[in-house]
Amino acid sequence: MSDHHKETFITKYIFCQDHKMIAKQFLITGMLMAVVGMLMSAIFRVQLANPGETSILYNLLPGSWLNEAGVLNPDKYLALVTMHGTILVFWVLTAGLSGTFANFLIPLQIGARDMASGFLNMLSYWFFFVATVVLVSSIYVESGPASSGWTIYPPLSALPQAIPGSGTGMTLWLVSITLFVVGSLLGGLNYIVTILNLRTKGMSMQRLPLTIWAILFTAILGVLSFPVLLSCGLLLIFDRSFGTSFYLSDIIINGEMLHNTGGSPILFEHLFWFLGHPEVYIILLPALGIVSEVISVNSRKPIFGYKAMVGALMLIAFLSFIVWGHHMFMTGMNPFLGSVFTFTTLLIAIPSAIKVFNYLATLWRANIRFTPAMLFAIGTVSAFITGGLTGLILGDSALDINVHDTYFVVGHFHIVMGLSAIYGMFAGVYHWFPKMYGRMMNKHLGYLHFWGTFICAYGVFFPMHFLGLAGLPRRYYTNSAFPMFDGLSDINSIITFFALAGAVVQTIFLFNFFYSIFKGTKATQNPWKSNTLEWTTPIERIHGNWPGEIPSVHRWPYDYSKPGADEDFIPQTVPLKEGEKEH
Amino acid sequence: MSVIKNKTFKQLLWVGMGSIAMFFAGLTSAYIVRKAEGNWTDFILPEWFWYSTLTIVLSSALLFVVKYKIKKNQSVSALLFSVFVLGLLFAYSQLNGWKELVSQGVFLTGEGSNVAGSFLYVITLSHLAHLIGGLVALLITVINAMKGRYSAVNYLGVELASIYWHFLSVLWIYLFCFLKYL
Amino acid sequence: MTNILIALVAILIIATLVQITRVSELLSELKNQDVNKVTDKDNKTQGVLMLVVGTGFMVFVLWQLVAWNHLLLPPASSVHGAQIDSLMQVSMGLILVLFFILTPMLFFFATKYRGRKNNTAYFFSHNNKLEVIWTVVPTIVLTGLIIYGLKTWDITMNADTTNATVIEVYGKQFQWTARMAGEDNLLGKSNYRGVTSKNALGIDMEDENAADDKLAREVHLVVNQPVLLKFRSQDVIHSAFLPHFRVQMNCVPGLSTKFAFTPTQTTTEMKEQEGQDFEYILLCNKICGAAHYNMQMKFVVETQEEYDTWIATKITLKEKLLTQK
Repeated sequence: MSDHHKETFITKYIFCQDHKMIAKQFLITGMLMAVVGMLMSAIFRVQLANPGETSILYNLLPGSWLNEAGVLNPDKYLALVTMHGTILVFWVLTAGLSGTFANFLIPLQIGARDMASGFLNMLSYWFFFVATVVLVSSIYVESGPASSGWTIYPPLSALPQAIPGSGTGMTLWLVSITLFVVGSLLGGLNYIVTILNLRTKGMSMQRLPLTIWAILFTAILGVLSFPVLLSCGLLLIFDRSFGTSFYLSDIIINGEMLHNTGGSPILFEHLFWFLGHPEVYIILLPALGIVSEVISVNSRKPIFGYKAMVGALMLIAFLSFIVWGHHMFMTGMNPFLGSVFTFTTLLIAIPSAIKVFNYLATLWRANIRFTPAMLFAIGTVSAFITGGLTGLILGDSALDINVHDTYFVVGHFHIVMGLSAIYGMFAGVYHWFPKMYGRMMNKHLGYLHFWGTFICAYGVFFPMHFLGLAGLPRRYYTNSAFPMFDGLSDINSIITFFALAGAVVQTIFLFNFFYSIFKGTKATQNPWKSNTLEWTTPIERIHGNWPGEIPSVHRWPYDYSKPGADEDFIPQTVPLKEGEKEH
Repeated sequence: MSVIKNKTFKQLLWVGMGSIAMFFAGLTSAYIVRKAEGNWTDFILPEWFWYSTLTIVLSSALLFVVKYKIKKNQSVSALLFSVFVLGLLFAYSQLNGWKELVSQGVFLTGEGSNVAGSFLYVITLSHLAHLIGGLVALLITVINAMKGRYSAVNYLGVELASIYWHFLSVLWIYLFCFLKYL
Repeated sequence: MTNILIALVAILIIATLVQITRVSELLSELKNQDVNKVTDKDNKTQGVLMLVVGTGFMVFVLWQLVAWNHLLLPPASSVHGAQIDSLMQVSMGLILVLFFILTPMLFFFATKYRGRKNNTAYFFSHNNKLEVIWTVVPTIVLTGLIIYGLKTWDITMNADTTNATVIEVYGKQFQWTARMAGEDNLLGKSNYRGVTSKNALGIDMEDENAADDKLAREVHLVVNQPVLLKFRSQDVIHSAFLPHFRVQMNCVPGLSTKFAFTPTQTTTEMKEQEGQDFEYILLCNKICGAAHYNMQMKFVVETQEEYDTWIATKITLKEKLLTQK
């Protein structure tokens, strides 16, 4: 396809249909939103460490969010945690992670010119962009943005009288999420169809890099689970704006007796978590896929247990549909149902364990090259171990009684998502930056970024397990209302210190990223000596990816340090030698 | 190239329809769960919904004729337009169905409403919303057909619009039976 | 003024980073090397850091376990709570053991197998036997954990409530009210439409069971006497969290939920153990609005005599609605 249509600035950078540019659009938008989300967390961490005091950081907030003494208002604290969660879960870890790497890597790694439909792909970004604008604008409405937690349970999220953010802010949140989901679905359609149909000659499913397998399962998870969030949200919209009673019943709020009867908030929770749980695997799986690639290339060894890794991904994806009730153990559900969900939830530990062991086996007797990407990949595995293990506590319904909605949960999900998945995203950025921008990111800054982040992040989230086991609930504006938590204020201060330090460390990454786009040393075609197809494309990216014919594939991607080979890597495009057997 | 395009575009549509099906699966699961909790006023489906079913089934049948004719390189713009009109009639019958429900005392919301009625309206409204997308697709095929864009070897647009329209028919039949018998 | 200072600091940080980058690039130019190529020296440094930081991480975790152990909740003050605590100890023990094996292994491998120029990695792509082992072993361990967990869950959720004292806990933004069921141990029916300023919980006074119900702003329980808490909410989802008893249950408007348990330690006993400031407390544990962080109710566990004294001071609903305007 040497269809070199004339490119204007608009068609090259804005309404672009090239998957590589769309990927970068997702990446930049995701990164900017990450900064917003991180600043929000810095602000509420300061409130938690110094309750009742003012802070310079509050200058970032609209004035109406503070009282006369310059102290953060309690309901706006809840607005911050809500928006922080929403932005990081959806905007950064879903769109920023999948949107970037699925779009960038799929055509390049399977040997295709572009996605099945460049048009739908472009639409998917622009739905995402509009969703972003709507969400950010909700921060500035008079009654404030959504404030009922990123999980927006009704009746709190349905009634502006219950908390101001449930007014206009919540409406905008729902509009934004609808646009976001549509954008995600448009992307997901493309990912699945492209992977299944547009692989180059010789690229059988068994020769796909694990990154692509992970993205495939992620996309399937997405197209099946995101629509249920839409149906969940639709019923909420009707309750909020049209007086129906799907979720609302028997309510007196602010002295006002509402007419709704017969509704059940628990119905909302079922529908929400039916997406909500697969969502966290939509976040995690691409990160694990990236890590498989980065660890293998930088260990100069095949990823251990390719088939088992694919099987584990498949099993995790399947099981993720039948565990959602573990978010609802304390809703008064039938105890038998609780037992079922405990059973299925603890089962998910098995394929997760398999993946960890396979990663460890890949590192065993490796010849590790510590690029910043590799450091983050190892960080992902560490966080996956730590966070995954605490999942065994939370998934056990009897134990959940005392840790549900405490800081134990906050510690757990931040370590699996805020560490594990984000580290995977960082690994991907550092690893594929040369391919994205034709330049290298600075290695020393990368090292600084990793160690600073690794140390600070564990400093923030490991102590939270103790706060949880001490009984401290989450989403509390301050802990000073209960004498029983007075002894925890030191821990809170430590956490805030590491949080602020960690936030500052991220400036190293932001600087490195943007500086290197323009001033980074020019990259070679295959700087990591990797086997996968994307490194056979020219350094300056072109439409259609390869200038001539798309190369054919003759082997799987993991022939690193294969005995009998001249070099410690054999790209997929290299035909088998006389007498050489394919793995 | 266009063989691949045919294949991939159809697959994109199929996956998309799978997503839409999950959306309705969410709504109908909610219906089942809520109904089991009681406080549920049974309703009788309005007669107009039978006409809806008839209209949409007829429109799908016509689309089969369209496919047959197009493979013989015959003009299909009139037929496609008929399908479009039948689609409009479907929408009309839905509106009348809702009017009939109101006169029966089944409301979406407000005094005297019950969640059973709310579900009924939300589910049928959602289906209609997706049908409007189908109407747009059909209209585009009508215009393209009039411009002579389709031939026996190239009628992907008609195929895609047809597949989606058949999906809407099957979805309606499922929802109709679900609401009637469950 | 402070904004200007912040801007200056930010510019300084960026300027520093620029300089670091420029310096590293210049140095490499001098040595005629690719600045971003990962050398054996880099591998050695990073490998050593893996070891050092990895060890530091283990020390950090151990330190937390020791230093903050006293901050954790005291042993459970309920019958089922003791079972939960045992399950927790076993589970935590298991995950800590796994953590302290797997994490050092990760960092150790990272250090030991750091790259060297003339080294070759070992082409070891799979081993089905290993896969089977590390699938079957976790499955067996997890099966054990699941069975133990489900047993504990069953004991907790299906407690025998035949002799339990019934108490309703009613949550609304931002307070709790308790309703004792009185001599008949039956709560009067309620309806949200019956809520008035006098009848804040909307009790149906036509129901004969309601007459002897008593309201209170704290809950007193008799030690070793089973109690069945029934929960309602007036407005949004709240959650009744009694951490010392290992009790938690959502309070959902439009539904009623419940949790039965038997307290085993009096407040006096706990004060001796934990300090005179100790109180049993009910906290709200589901985001419910601005004052979610301060929605609390005291619980007191005492002897039968102490309880009798206390309950005698409370008037019945029938009296309350007659005497108060």
